Amino acid sequence: MEKIIPLGVELYVNLAAFVVLFVLLAKFAFPPITKMLDERAEKIRESLEKAEDTRIEAERLLEEYRQQMAEARAEAAKIIEQGRTVAENMKSEILAKAREEAEAEKAKALEAIKAERAAAVAELQAKVAELSVAVAGKILGEQLTPAEHEALIERYLAEVGSLDER
Amino acid sequence: MSAPTVTVAEQAAADPLTHGIEKLVHELSVLPLKGEHLGIAESYSPGHFTLTNYTFWMLIAFALTVLFFVVASRKPKLVPSGIYNLAEAGVAFVRDSLCAEVMGPEGRKYFPFIGTVFFFVLFNNLLGNIPPALPGTGTLGTTFMWGLIVFTVYNGIGIKKNGLGRYIKSFIPSGTPLWLAPFIFVLELISHFLRPITLGIRLYANMYAGHIMLGVFAIFMGIAIEHVSATSFVVLPLSFVMQIVLRGFELFVAVLQAYIFAILTAVYINGALHASEH
Repeated sequence: MEKIIPLGVELYVNLAAFVVLFVLLAKFAFPPITKMLDERAEKIRESLEKAEDTRIEAERLLEEYRQQMAEARAEAAKIIEQGRTVAENMKSEILAKAREEAEAEKAKALEAIKAERAAAVAELQAKVAELSVAVAGKILGEQLTPAEHEALIERYLAEVGSLDER
Repeated sequence: MSAPTVTVAEQAAADPLTHGIEKLVHELSVLPLKGEHLGIAESYSPGHFTLTNYTFWMLIAFALTVLFFVVASRKPKLVPSGIYNLAEAGVAFVRDSLCAEVMGPEGRKYFPFIGTVFFFVLFNNLLGNIPPALPGTGTLGTTFMWGLIVFTVYNGIGIKKNGLGRYIKSFIPSGTPLWLAPFIFVLELISHFLRPITLGIRLYANMYAGHIMLGVFAIFMGIAIEHVSATSFVVLPLSFVMQIVLRGFELFVAVLQAYIFAILTAVYINGALHASEH
């Protein structure tokens, strides 16, 4: 039983020690530590919030870039398409023109050839007639009267003229 | 115990175990540093003031607690390291895991008190594990006094928060039949007054018993060495192993009991705060 009842001197000392320690810790030791704990918690919370904001901003930017990229790509495709159409038109235009010119050139050449030939034929006819008459004259020996001569040329020309028809 | 030295020596030779244990119990009893013996009655008169073996070590633990926190709180760091890290971890544990857990976020307001309780008890308990120190909490004079302080503080908080009338009335739960009310009131009153006593005895008994256990195995070892016999070769290694195991266990108990003391303080304060709600 003697052990169970505490000694008064111990009670006093322990009361005093506790009160003094409480004052010391509560006034000087705990506040800086709890303040730092709160500050750190606040800092971490802020950092997290900032990181979240940054993430959202980054996502927004990415989305924006994606959209811009898509727009640019569409624009490029459009431009290429336009270019192709223009080139296509130009090509057919040039081709048509070239064909036209070629046709004209060909027609002109044909015309020239035809004229050239006609001239050649005419000249040839004249020359042939003259020669034939001369040859015939030589063979017959100036026995033809000018009237007969004239009629002979006429007949011959009519025969040779049929060459033209071929 | 008042036997002359001659018979003590004879007794020691005759029965070393009983003698050793008696000596151990004597060493672990409350001994005044000044004077041979202090009667309980005279110990309450300020004229006979003296430190005891326990209060001496309690004051050492007090000094260590102060020193620890002075060093730790001198320069708080955003990125904690060293002794500050240790102190901060302790503070964070008591404030955020203990106070806030038991009482909700506003429980942090009572951290300075509960923190003082926790760290003071913890430092005393731990110091007791370093021979030749005794735990300041190994005597009822310490633990009962601190239980009494907790009792005073939590009732003070309850009265301040609810008002004296409502606080007293809260001892009787609403809906209690009128004829039962006085009994309930008395029961509740008794349970409240038992709190400082149970707080004190739980802590004291744990610390005291731990030291008795350690002492007993030390005595076994001493006897096994002094009186060598066949059993010595069994007793000595076993006791040695027990010493090591118990030391580890005592460290665990030191922290656990500080935690229990502090969490009960938080529970009592929380009950007093919300007394009129149930």
